[in-house]
Amino acid sequence: MNENKTVVRLENVGLRYGRGHEVLKDINLQLDAGSFQFLTGPSGAGKTSLLRLLFLSLKPTRGLINMFGQDVASIPPAKMPFIRRRIGVVFQDFRLLDHLTTFQNIALPLRVAGQKEKQYRSDVMDLVSWVGLKDHANAYPPVLSGGEKQRAAIARAVITQPDLLLADEPTGNVDPDLALRLLRLFAELNKLGTTVVIATHDTNLIRNSDYNVMELANGELEYGC
Amino acid sequence: MAASKTGTGLLPRSQMPLKTLMIAMTIMCYLASLSIGALVLINQAVDKWSSDIAGEITIQIRQLDGKDIEERVSKAKTLLDQVKGVTKVEVLDKTAGAKLLEPWLGKSNIISELPIPRLLAVTINRASPPDFGLLEKQLQQAVKGASLDTHRRWQAELTRMGTSLKWLGYSVLMLIVLSAIALVIYASRSALEANRHTVEVLHFVGATDPYIARQVQWQFLLAGLKSGIAGMAMGVLTFLILGLSTATAASSGFVEASYSLLLGAPEVNYISYMLFFLIPLVATLICLIAARLAIMRILQNAI
Repeated sequence: MNENKTVVRLENVGLRYGRGHEVLKDINLQLDAGSFQFLTGPSGAGKTSLLRLLFLSLKPTRGLINMFGQDVASIPPAKMPFIRRRIGVVFQDFRLLDHLTTFQNIALPLRVAGQKEKQYRSDVMDLVSWVGLKDHANAYPPVLSGGEKQRAAIARAVITQPDLLLADEPTGNVDPDLALRLLRLFAELNKLGTTVVIATHDTNLIRNSDYNVMELANGELEYGC
Repeated sequence: MAASKTGTGLLPRSQMPLKTLMIAMTIMCYLASLSIGALVLINQAVDKWSSDIAGEITIQIRQLDGKDIEERVSKAKTLLDQVKGVTKVEVLDKTAGAKLLEPWLGKSNIISELPIPRLLAVTINRASPPDFGLLEKQLQQAVKGASLDTHRRWQAELTRMGTSLKWLGYSVLMLIVLSAIALVIYASRSALEANRHTVEVLHFVGATDPYIARQVQWQFLLAGLKSGIAGMAMGVLTFLILGLSTATAASSGFVEASYSLLLGAPEVNYISYMLFFLIPLVATLICLIAARLAIMRILQNAI
């Protein structure tokens, strides 16, 4: 296996919350650079838990997670943010900051990476326009609709052109046309080299594309479709 | 045009427990300024009392049967006038000794009938005082019934009392500092708890712990500085009001001391003002350092 081309590798990963039953069992997964995967499965199957493992918000109960060629367990905490900067995440509940404008929310990853506004302003504005939020650039999240929040969250996740993009139900709050448009955005990013994992229930979205599908059922991962 | 308010704090100020922290820190700084003022006053008073006592000794000549006391007093004065290091000898008249006993015996004729000793107040040169042991020996040989009191016992007791009060003051200051640190740590925890959602998002977009800590610590630094200035101002004002208020018989000593603390001798004022100005500085440092350490510790324990 060529480590340089493998973005994520999970070996026999198990996860349980507290003393409960294992929500993820013996997950073996390899995501190569530039791949595009759908992650699907019924509610409660563990899709969000698997994504949380992938964006380093949880530690596995057992098994090994290797990200960008490094064993996650051996990465010092101080280095973790630099790994996270290579990962873009779209949360199911958007996780926008209500006290920042749409523009500021989208620019957040660049800002925490130390860039100045004059460096990123035009890139951010281009993306704001692309996701159809130009008129809402100064608006605060509480006044945005669910779909607008979704687009802002997606824009924030892709603004840095991450090596790995993880999206949890990214089209759950948008109409089918916009869903396809957002899928095109993910596809464009994928063409630029970003590895994409989209967790979704949206069978139409899966059907309209020919990307790989991983299915989680009862905490176990199956490859198919 | 799009928003450009990147100067907006990433952790909203409205969700920080800064008001409560500032009120509590202002009270702490006020108490600290009172303690510092009290310490300066105690030091000043002990120095003054000690130097007054050290500059004077008392010769006591007891009544003896068949001996003329006036003659012995005069002999003692003559001897003392010749001693090197003695600058002034004052013979206190008979009534001076009687007056000292009035608080116990009242103004009665009994006093005049008692064999009250005669007193000589001797002012000495502090820079080159006489040899007290030799002086006492010479006096006892030359004048029967004479004894010398250097007030050293009083001086030692005064010094001991002053030292105890000073340590009490330092202990109070230390307790104030420890309480302030505990307060800032608690407030830092509350600040992070109130902003848990924001901190999580900042983590996910790749913010480092020091970056997140900086978002909080500068707000705490400002809170510390403002509280320190407010507490110090209140303390200075308290001493000014006390110093400028009309003295009553009971409070005159403290009022005088308060006056001298801020408006008296320049050398005392410089030290007093410098110590007072340290309060905002220390409050700011406590807020900055305690908040930073507490936040970093909490963030490091988070995933």
